Amino acid sequence: MKSVGWRALLVFAVLALVPLVPGMSRYYLLLAFDALLFGAIAMSLDLLMGYTGLVSFGHAAFYGLGAYATAIVMERGVLSIWVCVAFALLVVGLYALVVSYFATARRGIYFALLTLIFAEVVYTVFRYTQAFGGSDGIQGLPDATLLPGVAIDTPLRKYYLVLAYLAVAYVVCRVIVTSHFGRVLVAIRENEDRARFLGYNVQRYKMGACMVSALLTGLGGAIYPMRSAFATPDLMLWTESGEFIISVMIGGLGTLVGPVIGGAFFTILRDKVSSVVDWYFIVIGGVLIVIVLFMPRGLLGLRRLFARRTGGAAA
Amino acid sequence: MILEVDDVTRRFGALTALNRVSFAVDAGQIFSVIGPNGAGKSTLFNVVSGLFAPSAGRVRFRGHDITGLPPERVNRLGLAKTFQITSLFPEISVLDNVRIAAQSRAPESGRVSSLWRRPDVDATAGALLEAFGLTARRDAHARDLSHGEQRYLEICVALATNPTLLLLDEPTAGMTPGETRDATALIRKVVLERALTLLLIEHDMSVVMGISDRVAVLHFGEKIAEGTPDAIRSDPRVIEAYLGGGDD
Repeated sequence: MKSVGWRALLVFAVLALVPLVPGMSRYYLLLAFDALLFGAIAMSLDLLMGYTGLVSFGHAAFYGLGAYATAIVMERGVLSIWVCVAFALLVVGLYALVVSYFATARRGIYFALLTLIFAEVVYTVFRYTQAFGGSDGIQGLPDATLLPGVAIDTPLRKYYLVLAYLAVAYVVCRVIVTSHFGRVLVAIRENEDRARFLGYNVQRYKMGACMVSALLTGLGGAIYPMRSAFATPDLMLWTESGEFIISVMIGGLGTLVGPVIGGAFFTILRDKVSSVVDWYFIVIGGVLIVIVLFMPRGLLGLRRLFARRTGGAAA
Repeated sequence: MILEVDDVTRRFGALTALNRVSFAVDAGQIFSVIGPNGAGKSTLFNVVSGLFAPSAGRVRFRGHDITGLPPERVNRLGLAKTFQITSLFPEISVLDNVRIAAQSRAPESGRVSSLWRRPDVDATAGALLEAFGLTARRDAHARDLSHGEQRYLEICVALATNPTLLLLDEPTAGMTPGETRDATALIRKVVLERALTLLLIEHDMSVVMGISDRVAVLHFGEKIAEGTPDAIRSDPRVIEAYLGGGDD
């Protein structure tokens, strides 16, 4: 894959060696799982936010539905990761088709609100009916299996699972943003009306971007219960969607790599601060304000201080 | 006859922006629509290009009834327009602005394969930039161009979709008299070279009179005259509209 590049291969090679770091405990491997999972989801959202110019406040629903899909399959004794993932993509895909059809018919704040409203409906169904365990969700799931007899049962194997997910999501996103389709998304972000007058059916492109972003997010949701052994309605709460958006902003809109760093940074910061104080969100909020005020292009924007290269974001 | 506007009315609430306007443009013609500010010229363009559906009347283009079709469909039938207020993709390069327009006609566009492929349209895009003297600026962001360069890029972007009918909405808006002369000559040259039909909105009479085959005059949403530039110049209703309106 020419468009993926050797630098990305290098980063993945380094990430693959992370478990060899001396002092790498079970705790740190699982934290690394969470960090990369959050990063990959933020990257999927960046396809919408950074490239297409659409802010979704409902990505938690794609994430949560993916997690529940896996949990429901595993609860019935089917442990194959492939079955779980296929079912999750089906469920998330059907839901995303409905949401994106209606949401992309509107622009700006209305798009954001529609994604939020749909997600809140899903949250309410999972939280307030007993069909899927109510507020407790589905708990105590066994380990998934890669092949019959090969369980993903150690933190090390779980870490490589999330790394594989990150790789898939990255290749998909990178190929798309360098494709013709991806360039049209940037054109829509830049000037939607102009794109229509050039013969592009803008709504179809927006729906396409929503579907890819939603499916990748749902895929992330699908592997989460394989690490946590549960799926709860909290995964679908709107604050979760907000955290995805914050991660994209911290990392840098329209850069793909930035949101991965942003998501990982956010996860690690939250973990470290919350283990010290209860009011950790005040600390995180302070850090975010500093980043937004002084680094409007996000963490990845810092590279501009070292390199004179411009661009990155656009086509 | 390539474009036929038949008895088109467009109302915005109580305001009738266009009132029963009819005209026809023949293939290869340069047809201009003039009129004072607020005469309904841009509304007419927006109805023809698909942004607004008319409240009454029909629009036909190359034998298709395009009344009420959305802009992307109208454009795919071969009608491209520029905007009175420059409308480009500001944060991408000049070359990419033209490329994205040209790519909409590539066979990959709209297919699944466009998810991983990118059509090569550099020859088309390069030729257009060359024709409008923008080759040296190809890597600049569109937002960094001068006003005059942006007006030219606007035309390049519209032409890149390879239209048969080009709608230019005040292409020389904001240009100095010297720039206006150059731009008019260039537009005329490109239109002739590409055998285009041109529908031009202008507010500046000097531009129109020099290049048009036929001129229609709008005043308060109604067509008050149509004819050759010479006939229009001496038409008392036109003089009245321009002088009486106290505008321009």
